[in-house]
Amino acid sequence: MQTIGFLLPRSTYYTGISFDLFDGLTSSLSSLGRNDIRIVTENIGFGSDKQLCYKAAEQLLMHEQAQVVFAYIGHRMAQVLRPLFTAANRLLIVLDAGAHLPQEWPSSPHIFYHSLNNALGSWLSSNMAVRDGYSNGGMVTGYYDGGYLQTIGAYNGYLEAGGTIRFNLATGYRKEDFSMQPLKEQFQHSGNDCLISIFSGDYVQWFFKDLQQHFPDQHLPVYLPPFALEESMLKEAVYPGDKVSGVASWSVTLKNEQNALFTEKIQSAGREPNLFSLLGWEAGILADFLTKELQQQPNCKQAGEKLSQFSFESPRGTVVFDKETNSSIAPLYEAKIENDGTGHCAVKIVAEINDVVGAYESLRSQPIEESVSGWFNSYTCI
Amino acid sequence: MKKPGILVLCGGRFALPAIQQLAIEGYVSGIVIGKGEASVVDLLEQQCGEANIPFRSIARSSQVEESLNELIEELQPDAVFSICFPFLVPEEVLAYDPNKFINFHTGPLPGYRGPMPIFEVLRRNEPETELSIHFMEADFDEGDIIFSEKISIDPDETFGSLAFKLSLRTALAAQNMAEMIEFGSTIPRQPQNNIVSRYFEKPEKEDTFVRWNRMFGEEIVQLIRSCNPWNTGADAVLGNKLIKIVEAELLDEVHQQLPGSVIGVSENGFIHVACLDYKQLVIKIISCDLGIISAGQYARKEKFIPITT
Repeated sequence: MQTIGFLLPRSTYYTGISFDLFDGLTSSLSSLGRNDIRIVTENIGFGSDKQLCYKAAEQLLMHEQAQVVFAYIGHRMAQVLRPLFTAANRLLIVLDAGAHLPQEWPSSPHIFYHSLNNALGSWLSSNMAVRDGYSNGGMVTGYYDGGYLQTIGAYNGYLEAGGTIRFNLATGYRKEDFSMQPLKEQFQHSGNDCLISIFSGDYVQWFFKDLQQHFPDQHLPVYLPPFALEESMLKEAVYPGDKVSGVASWSVTLKNEQNALFTEKIQSAGREPNLFSLLGWEAGILADFLTKELQQQPNCKQAGEKLSQFSFESPRGTVVFDKETNSSIAPLYEAKIENDGTGHCAVKIVAEINDVVGAYESLRSQPIEESVSGWFNSYTCI
Repeated sequence: MKKPGILVLCGGRFALPAIQQLAIEGYVSGIVIGKGEASVVDLLEQQCGEANIPFRSIARSSQVEESLNELIEELQPDAVFSICFPFLVPEEVLAYDPNKFINFHTGPLPGYRGPMPIFEVLRRNEPETELSIHFMEADFDEGDIIFSEKISIDPDETFGSLAFKLSLRTALAAQNMAEMIEFGSTIPRQPQNNIVSRYFEKPEKEDTFVRWNRMFGEEIVQLIRSCNPWNTGADAVLGNKLIKIVEAELLDEVHQQLPGSVIGVSENGFIHVACLDYKQLVIKIISCDLGIISAGQYARKEKFIPITT
């Protein structure tokens, strides 16, 4: 029996994150008829403790003999684990929120990033704002979300499309420090057209609530990245107005065969599908592919080379890998926030975005000079 | 938990990014530089003084054993990292604990042992190279490999640009290695396959010399790139004079002249030289008695004739 490992995180605002990831994986493997794969898990907390992550990975590789380890971690933590996987000739598949930029770290034949492409979505979302006619923008994020290089994606995406960022607002980390009050002054004096924003989880709810409080009669055009369009959080967010749109990685409403199967399997297991169960589901497809490859040729590096040429159908469309960065690229969707009828938010998918691969190549060729993210933790795991 | 203390042995500016990275993370317990250029020695001495980190500069191999033993005795480091340290670390020093001495070798092992693997991989037109991190033994570049990292070589890569890439990657690998020591329960190791090992001595004049009658055009271009900038360029005889070719490219255009003869000077001032394989070497920059000058300037001085179409 082949063994795969899974490094599972925890999050205070996505409390079920590890269950979502794990259920996604097991449901996927079960639907592929792969009950022959043994899964061993280790808890890595918020994914920020180097010692905890290293020891957990070591445990999976050395004691459990896992050939492939899936981990919901950030790029910085993946770099800590890189020599371990290189030395052991095993594969680390980072289930990646995509909040970091792919060019931040050198690629490795033993690490693949299977991504939700949040930075790419930020880039495309700010492109979209300019295309919609809003060429003067304010960049709005928070102490936490703004600490990832996705901010460069949003900022440069806006500039490259011809927009001008008039001001930046980075609000606080805790609820009592979180405020959109400074926006009032900006909008009174500078004539900004739109807000390019990067928030996730609870911060999206606080952001929308503050917008409604400070701009009750003025519906500001707001552009969001994929994690701000995460549907389970939006269900609890107050509807901020009819000019809020952005780029989504996935929605429960996407019409395709894989999405129907995925949502049905997750719901039948008693859970609501979300971005994390989606990542887990897709991890199952990768686990199926890699374990079959490793049965034929038990060399992880060679299996990795095959993976870089692999593409598959997922609930969000066809997923491919970029060979330069060993990162996956999946379809992204123009989306709009709608009132769900109760004063809360729902996501409406407007259209699939053309040439996401080309956009990814533009994003990864952006110079980042000496910018580095200081955040070690897995995105949304605080 | 206390961070491991690492004594860094280095040879010059190549190691500076790694030292900086290790220092930021709080791993550096001491620094030794061997045969270092004065500016780097001064810089490190000053920074070590400010950070209260013990520092030694060793000029001769005869001082190595005593200096290192003394410092190791004083610091009791958890590991010793060697990053382009120019001297062999004697067995008497390794006896402190052979599992604590780790070398960062700037080429693939065991195929490219020796002091200048960057020169050797470029000269041989390898598509990629490696940074090899390994335990140290009594001879240079021997010992079990811990991990290695592949680094691609760009088509127009020079010794300088590849060394720069490797220097940055060494910084990352040094941090990785320090974290492995800090967090790992064991350090993985893989023996080197000595049957396929090769050792390349430091290149001498004959290794950096363009042999017009024996080398194909591509080999000459690779030699030029592998000599830039550490040897200024590849040594060559051009029009009966000794020069160094700093920058050149290959032109796939047939000629009727003997290898090494000057075909002429192009409109943009480049000197075209006949190669053995009927290709042309297009020289752009030359180092000569006048200094480092453009091929056009050199051509005017030597009165090379223009190419007629």
